[in-house]
Amino acid sequence: MQVHADRDRCEGHGLCADVAPEVYELDDDAVVVLRHDQVPAELERKAEAGARVCPVAALRVLP
Amino acid sequence: MTSSVSAPVSDVDLFAPDVLADPYAAYRELRDTAPAVRLSTYPIWVLTRYEDVRAGLADWQSFTSAQGVALTDEMNAPMLGGVLATDPPEHDVLRSVLSEKLAPRVLARLRADIAQRADALVAQVVARGSFDAVTELAQPLPVDVVADLIGLPLAGREKLLPGADATFASFGPLDERMQARMPVFMDYLGYMQSVSDPSVLAPGSWGAAVFDAVDAGRIPAETAGPLLTAYLVAGMDTTVAAIAAYTRHLAEDPELFATLKADPSLIASGFEEALRIESPVLGFFRNTTRDVDVSGVVVPAGSRVLLSNASANRDERHYADPDRFDVRRNPLDHLAFGYATHGCAGQGLARIEAQSLIGSLLRRVDRIELAGDPGRHEHPVVRGLESLPLTVVPAGQG
Repeated sequence: MQVHADRDRCEGHGLCADVAPEVYELDDDAVVVLRHDQVPAELERKAEAGARVCPVAALRVLP
Repeated sequence: MTSSVSAPVSDVDLFAPDVLADPYAAYRELRDTAPAVRLSTYPIWVLTRYEDVRAGLADWQSFTSAQGVALTDEMNAPMLGGVLATDPPEHDVLRSVLSEKLAPRVLARLRADIAQRADALVAQVVARGSFDAVTELAQPLPVDVVADLIGLPLAGREKLLPGADATFASFGPLDERMQARMPVFMDYLGYMQSVSDPSVLAPGSWGAAVFDAVDAGRIPAETAGPLLTAYLVAGMDTTVAAIAAYTRHLAEDPELFATLKADPSLIASGFEEALRIESPVLGFFRNTTRDVDVSGVVVPAGSRVLLSNASANRDERHYADPDRFDVRRNPLDHLAFGYATHGCAGQGLARIEAQSLIGSLLRRVDRIELAGDPGRHEHPVVRGLESLPLTVVPAGQG
């Protein structure tokens, strides 16, 4: 599984990193960074949960 | 209206006083009727199920905001071109001026100051033993904080809450109730115009930054006033309503109070749950740009559609036991702040304000009880309380 992060749209609300710190972090400018190019199988549910809570829809799980 | 003979129709009046007093039964009925329902009472459709509302909020191409997000054409007209009533790409330029101030990394620097103000306020009311949690606790903090951040002069700040209240009411029906609010609304329009002036706004403030963006050529000069309006309206009665709703749960449920007092790390989750179960903004309107298939029901092009955030947040298809306040639910995917393009830019600030106030309240009191019936504030768009009389036992004196 891959996640697409729209860094232009990200406003740094940080909910993704609260929900799934193993998948998402914020860089020094508080813009989302993905920890994995390919989300490990055991983190897929967390990746989905983190993408879902993005308030500005900047994260999209790719099939 | 003969767009579709099979279109589900409901006679529910979402703005009737008894429905506004307790809209949740009506929402459930609409959710159970169909994914999209046309109303006979107003010339609108309404989406009430979580997944449909969420998808509608995310699909600005089909559900445009550019014709306004209010019920009536009369009240949509003055908001056109503002940040609420534009689509990308125009919207994104305007929003960026707000969001760079409201970004959580920027807000983090304000957290200590807001916490201090909240604690001083809580100390003051707790010392009195009984107080009104709407007028004396929930209202002063957001107004003071936001007014200072915008850089507003002290004179005139008393207009902010009633003005924001009347402005949001103008998103609803233009009936005798709105007519009664019209003097306040008109007065607030005048006030907002008077502060749309860099010479009256504090240097370095959010308000001043709007005019800096004009000077820098980032945004057109005519958008400065509407952008300032967004600051002057969005974070007042909405935040007050959310804080009061959370406080009410604490007063009515001693077990919840005890749980949070024992584990303050749940304060944040509890706030999300308060937002979910009593969403301040009931919903805003959109207009369809094409025939839109909403989970099998076709909403014709050119329809005005209410996206009901408050109903979505009580949708049993998405939240188990949705009418129950579950402090551990942490429903961060709720739609109380909207979602996607127009998702509330100031939600981080609302969280800091509410978490600070509730945190101080929990630290400073051992018991909290209703001292009378809470009073509902009738409003077509923002659901909140008029009064919440409480008595408290200060910490260590119980």
